[in-house]
Amino acid sequence: MKAQRINGIERGEPITITVNGKEIQAYAGESIAAALLAAGQRNIHQSVKGGAPRGYFCGMGMCFDCVATVDGIPNVRTCVTQVHPGCIVETSS
Amino acid sequence: MTPQKPDTTEIAIVGAGPAGVAAAVIAARAGAAVTLLDENTNAGGQYYKQPTLTESGHKYPNSLASNIQQGRELLAGLNHPGIDLQCDTLVWNVSPEELVLYLCGPTGARALQAKRIIFSAGAYERVMPFPGWTLPGVIMAGGAQLMLKAQGLLPGRRFLLAGTGPLLQLAAVQLLEAGADIAAIVELQPRAEFLRTASKLWGHWDKLGQGIANQKKLLQAKVPIKYGHTIARALGENEVSGAVIMKVDGDGRPIPGSETTLEVDSICLNYGFIPATELPGIAGCAQYFDYNFGAYATKTNENLETSVAGIFAAGETCGIGGADVALLEGQLAGAVAARQLGLDPDTDEATLCQKQLQARTVAASLGKMFPVKPGLCALATDGVPVCRCEEISAGEVRAAIRMGVVQLNQLKPWTRVGMGRCQGRICGEILRQIVAHETGLALQEIQPFTARAPVKPVLLEEVGGAVADTGELTWEDHVGGYGVART
Ligand SMILES: Cc1cc2nc3c(=O)[nH]c(=O)nc-3n(C[C@H](O)[C@H](O)[C@H](O)COP(=O)(O)OP(=O)(O)OC[C@H]3O[C@@H](n4cnc5c(N)ncnc54)[C@H](O)[C@@H]3O)c2cc1C
Ligand code: FES
Repeated sequence: MKAQRINGIERGEPITITVNGKEIQAYAGESIAAALLAAGQRNIHQSVKGGAPRGYFCGMGMCFDCVATVDGIPNVRTCVTQVHPGCIVETSS
Repeated sequence: MTPQKPDTTEIAIVGAGPAGVAAAVIAARAGAAVTLLDENTNAGGQYYKQPTLTESGHKYPNSLASNIQQGRELLAGLNHPGIDLQCDTLVWNVSPEELVLYLCGPTGARALQAKRIIFSAGAYERVMPFPGWTLPGVIMAGGAQLMLKAQGLLPGRRFLLAGTGPLLQLAAVQLLEAGADIAAIVELQPRAEFLRTASKLWGHWDKLGQGIANQKKLLQAKVPIKYGHTIARALGENEVSGAVIMKVDGDGRPIPGSETTLEVDSICLNYGFIPATELPGIAGCAQYFDYNFGAYATKTNENLETSVAGIFAAGETCGIGGADVALLEGQLAGAVAARQLGLDPDTDEATLCQKQLQARTVAASLGKMFPVKPGLCALATDGVPVCRCEEISAGEVRAAIRMGVVQLNQLKPWTRVGMGRCQGRICGEILRQIVAHETGLALQEIQPFTARAPVKPVLLEEVGGAVADTGELTWEDHVGGYGVART
């Protein structure tokens, strides 16, 4: 399921980020989670014990279900971290 | 590491939501040096969350545009030489004797000493578990609002909103205006009870008016509102592809045979809010049980002073009340703190105090309308995880309860609930409901988890030295270099 950028809302500069080796389109000011959802990736993190799929849940940096490796740093909360040009994201699921 | 000398300020405010911003503006105008701290990238808090996309942020759907605009007007007040706004800065600990806050921000770890501290850390959303609630596509209703407001993104196409309280209908209207398709709103409270308690708001036209306006929009869009129902299951393998809803009895227990399946790709949950009390808790501020909202909150006197000298609390940290209460309390706390420092704020605290009490009364009657009901615990069948971080199931928790472990602080070492990275913010309230349901104890007899520093996981390399200085904590390196206090 692809989330939808709401039509007509002004956005920042278009930028490209790399997610699991593939390039996706994002806009300056967007959170990594928003860019992932807009690219159709809701399944972001695999739970540590059970390997269950997890994704964006609280949106306020509280639940840690949206974590990914960003520019080599593990466990970054994608809902409270903005994209930047050249940003490299690796998700565990 | 040799301890650094802390930075200093006159009034330190933790949280730049409506409460914190109002406090900062009043105090700075009175002449105080104010440091306003927030872990978010922008000031505004939850209700006045601002878009991070562009400066102008216009062309938002109606219901969001006015809210964003109001926020912008409030935040304009921060443009004052007396206010030092520090965003992206987490306050992770407090030392109440010296009134020192421990910060972790863009320039690393620091300490900040103040003459007065105001805690205005807001609240968290409350959710209840059911089979499938950890699937991607199940999100908090406020989390959906944040995607709309801050990101201009509609996080799904066809939604179910489930839980209890006014946020469900508001969020549904906002999603609708952004182009979503709403399959249904599932409200736990039965319709008759809803109308009976709504009549208590008679006279509070703004609150009633907002509710009626939302209902009208939902009616026009033919959105079904299912009163006396609950979400019972999220369907899907790797993400949500549907939902099962059920009727509930008076206790909130799902009635077998009443299942209806809905085709949706997103489920938004909200069962009200829980005050964020971690920092006041660490500081030793007394708490009270708020019967109207079924949760513990920070206790204050009528001047919003906590039980600890020099520390104030304002907004939802002191009890759920909405943005209006938060604004009034921020003004009051800011004014009283400034006056205690010998300044002369341009406010009449007695009037503010009266207005704040009135606003609290309205909020309380709203809260009473939407209790979480114990029968909902039946949805957390034994295989359902209740602690999302450590993946502890309801069955494991029930087994511990049968062994007589009924306080959250005991359940923690016994089962590992609340030991993960969210530090019990999501499971804490769920566990209190389950313990109450299993044992018959009243909710207020079940104490929340004791808050520990750091209040959120922080990178050990950043605060390692500062943590060592506080001495009393044992640390475990969590996955990837995050530190979480172990007790
Ligand atoms: C996701 C969400 C959506 C909501 N939507 C609505 C709505 O649509 N309508 C409505 O009436 N109410 C809504 N609420 C309720 C809302 O919280 C209040 O109406 C109002 O925002 C409360 O104001 P406040 O100033 O007390 O707290 P908040 O606005 O929550 O502000 C608290 C601030 O403190 C910061 N903070 C907390 N802890 C720390 C720390 N340790 N270090 C640094 N900063 C910290 C947070 O980042 C936040 O910015 C929502 C709440 C949430 C959680
Ligand atoms: S969605 Fe909860 S921390 Fe990001």
